Amino acid sequence: MRRAVTIILLIILALGISRSLAKIPFGAHKTKVGKYYINEGIEETGATNIVTSVVLNYRGFDTLGEITVLFIAAIGLGAVLTTNVKGETRKIQPASLVLYTGCRLLFPLILVFGTYIFIHGHLTPGGGFQGGAIIASGFLLIYLGCRERRINRVASNLIESLGGLTFVLIGLLGLVFGSYFLLNFLPKGTANTLLSAGIIPIIYIAIGFKVGSELTSIIDNLIEES
Amino acid sequence: MVNPVLLIAVPLGLAFAIPLFAFFWRPAAKYIPPAALVFNLVVSILLLAQVLENPLIVSIGGWQPPFCIILVAGPLGVLFSAIIALVGLLVSVYALDYIKEGPAEKYNMLFLLLLTGATGVVLTGDIFNLFVFFEILCISSYALVAYLRDKAGIESAIKYLIQGAVGSSLLLIGIGLLYGLFGTLNMADIAQNIKSVSPVSVFVPMVLIIAGLGVEAAIFPLNAWLPDAHSSAPSSISAILSGIAIEVGLYAVARVIFTIFGASSILLFLSLLGILTLLIGEMCAFSQNNIKRMLAYSSIGQIGLILFALAIATSYGVTGGLFQMISHTLSKALLFLAAGYMIYQAGSMEMSALEGLGKKMPLTCLAFTIGAFSLVGLPPFIGFPSKFLIVQSALAAKETFFSVLIGLALLGTVIEGAYFFRVVQVLYFKGEETNTPRKDAPVTALIPMFIFVVLSIVVGIYPKLVTDVLNSAASELINRLDYIRNILG
Amino acid sequence: MSFLNSYIYYIGAFGLILVGFYIILVKHNLIKVIVGLGILDTGVNLFLISVGYITKGTAPIFSRPGIDSEYMVDPVPQALVLTAIVIGVAVLALALSLAIRLYQHYGTLNLRKIREQRW
Repeated sequence: MRRAVTIILLIILALGISRSLAKIPFGAHKTKVGKYYINEGIEETGATNIVTSVVLNYRGFDTLGEITVLFIAAIGLGAVLTTNVKGETRKIQPASLVLYTGCRLLFPLILVFGTYIFIHGHLTPGGGFQGGAIIASGFLLIYLGCRERRINRVASNLIESLGGLTFVLIGLLGLVFGSYFLLNFLPKGTANTLLSAGIIPIIYIAIGFKVGSELTSIIDNLIEES
Repeated sequence: MVNPVLLIAVPLGLAFAIPLFAFFWRPAAKYIPPAALVFNLVVSILLLAQVLENPLIVSIGGWQPPFCIILVAGPLGVLFSAIIALVGLLVSVYALDYIKEGPAEKYNMLFLLLLTGATGVVLTGDIFNLFVFFEILCISSYALVAYLRDKAGIESAIKYLIQGAVGSSLLLIGIGLLYGLFGTLNMADIAQNIKSVSPVSVFVPMVLIIAGLGVEAAIFPLNAWLPDAHSSAPSSISAILSGIAIEVGLYAVARVIFTIFGASSILLFLSLLGILTLLIGEMCAFSQNNIKRMLAYSSIGQIGLILFALAIATSYGVTGGLFQMISHTLSKALLFLAAGYMIYQAGSMEMSALEGLGKKMPLTCLAFTIGAFSLVGLPPFIGFPSKFLIVQSALAAKETFFSVLIGLALLGTVIEGAYFFRVVQVLYFKGEETNTPRKDAPVTALIPMFIFVVLSIVVGIYPKLVTDVLNSAASELINRLDYIRNILG
Repeated sequence: MSFLNSYIYYIGAFGLILVGFYIILVKHNLIKVIVGLGILDTGVNLFLISVGYITKGTAPIFSRPGIDSEYMVDPVPQALVLTAIVIGVAVLALALSLAIRLYQHYGTLNLRKIREQRW
């Protein structure tokens, strides 16, 4: 019964959407806004990665909201999972030597790779979110390999809040210098060099740290409780 | 000139900074939300005087719309942000003493971020940005519903989260279709081009977006989460969820229907849906024995009434709907705040536990009674002029359809009166005389309640205080061509 | 076949979306429902990306000077998807933490058996 109703509902949904989709031809679409960004993006923002210039400059406000959402998830997770009572410490079975050594060997490399990804966000594919996720995966590896290790929660909270504050303060500086929030007030530099694109790399570094520590604290909370 | 972006950026920055402040001085966490909201209230009131003549459009990043995200500080948005700041401020003062257990630092961050999300939704002029702020609002409310970590809270949060996540997926599909059709995300730009595409293909994204936003706005078939979530959250959060979150959802629905789609074809359907929501909410509320569930169902009823008023779509009707939103916000927040300490004192949410509480905590119960009277629509409280305006506008619409529906709405009001009087009767006239000492709510709770009471009486006697602002807010919603012209020039 | 060629991504995206909806509406196990939410998110993201695709498209990155911008795909949907992915991750993480707590309270993840709250 439930299944039948569900399937009928879904068929109606699919038919409705296909009516609308017929008006959106696949692969032949170059939208007004997208075209403008591709043509003017380098000139206006100095970032060769147009997606980055959209993410952090034209639609930077969305990104501010986005890191807020992730921040909320990390706090909410902490609020739901923290217990006041200290449970009995679980017996931790140590990982095998291969896993242990392998994780310790890979960890710094992963950190360097993550850092590379978020520092070069305005030049190559990648950016703060991707780099942060890579860094968090390094920490996840440490949780698997060196099982008794834990991150310092206070430090990760402080990094989170400093990262968010940096973003907001850079935005407010734009308001001070040019009466627009998130204005790209720094010199744009020459395209395709590391020191270009004004505020974009600075914000991406802040986001990289913030996302890395947030995802790590989410992993930490989930491991602690399960 | 004040930049409306400060209304979002400053509370956001302060919320990010709470862990830093708390690192140096632990109790700082609970004083930051009131401080941020005082700032927002002052800025909103400064802006309100300004935008009544000319709406203020600010771009973020310094490009021309539609190539960047814009904030539209018209009378409607600024009015809402002022109300969000006012109610948030009073509730955060209440929470200073009310929130005793749990990780209070996290509570304060989530609370402030919830209100920031709500402010963002009412100010933004970009449909995807609206989605992002909507998610901020929703996700922080999922976490806050589960804040007490008891059985009921966790279960309601899960239900709320699943329904909310499905809703936001629908919303996102709708936004994707709109982007595919029009190649832009600016609401005014979409609105300008909406006629260039056949109505059939616009209809699907419209339904998807309304359904997605309707989950948060608790419109009838999508509101199964509401009674659970609103009744199991801490009372201060229930006040915010009932008083602000669903109103903001309804604002978004109205903005999408009136401004973007300019749709008149589905207004009749929505008015019918509104009355259905109203009757179902009020009837379920009538059969409740749990006081917070009763208040939650009554919120559903009120949402139905507001939706009906907005769907009349005359300037009278929309003004009435917005007025009813304000009166519901003030009265329902007051009711939940009072109920919080009544439950705390009685030790149970059941109606029978509240017997004779009117003598033990006279001030709190008086506040509850005034909130109830105001919600039912008795003069001289704020609920009277707002309901009166709705009735007047429905009759002035000169369609038998609306006249019949308003009759049903009045029936709903009668039911509402019946169950609220039952509570008042339980509070004052039931239970045997006991000599338990008087023990009212603490001063931090009484002051916000007192301010709510004063506001609802003052506005109830002089509705002129708000009707000017409401009129221009309503005309912002109805005159979509003016909105488009203001933004795109 | 040409129909398939030109609409295969849409079909895939909406296939995932419908599968996600089906799981959410029919399954009783909370973890399965959360997986359904994940599939739904993936489908929506794939749909957003395919809206911005251009035949023979390349990434919108000017990795060397003088690169042809004719076939660069629309960058906006990619930015939107970045946001949508992060939001999806946030919702899933919160849902999993609630699932852990729910299991501690009830000893089961079957949503049919968890019925404290009623209409």
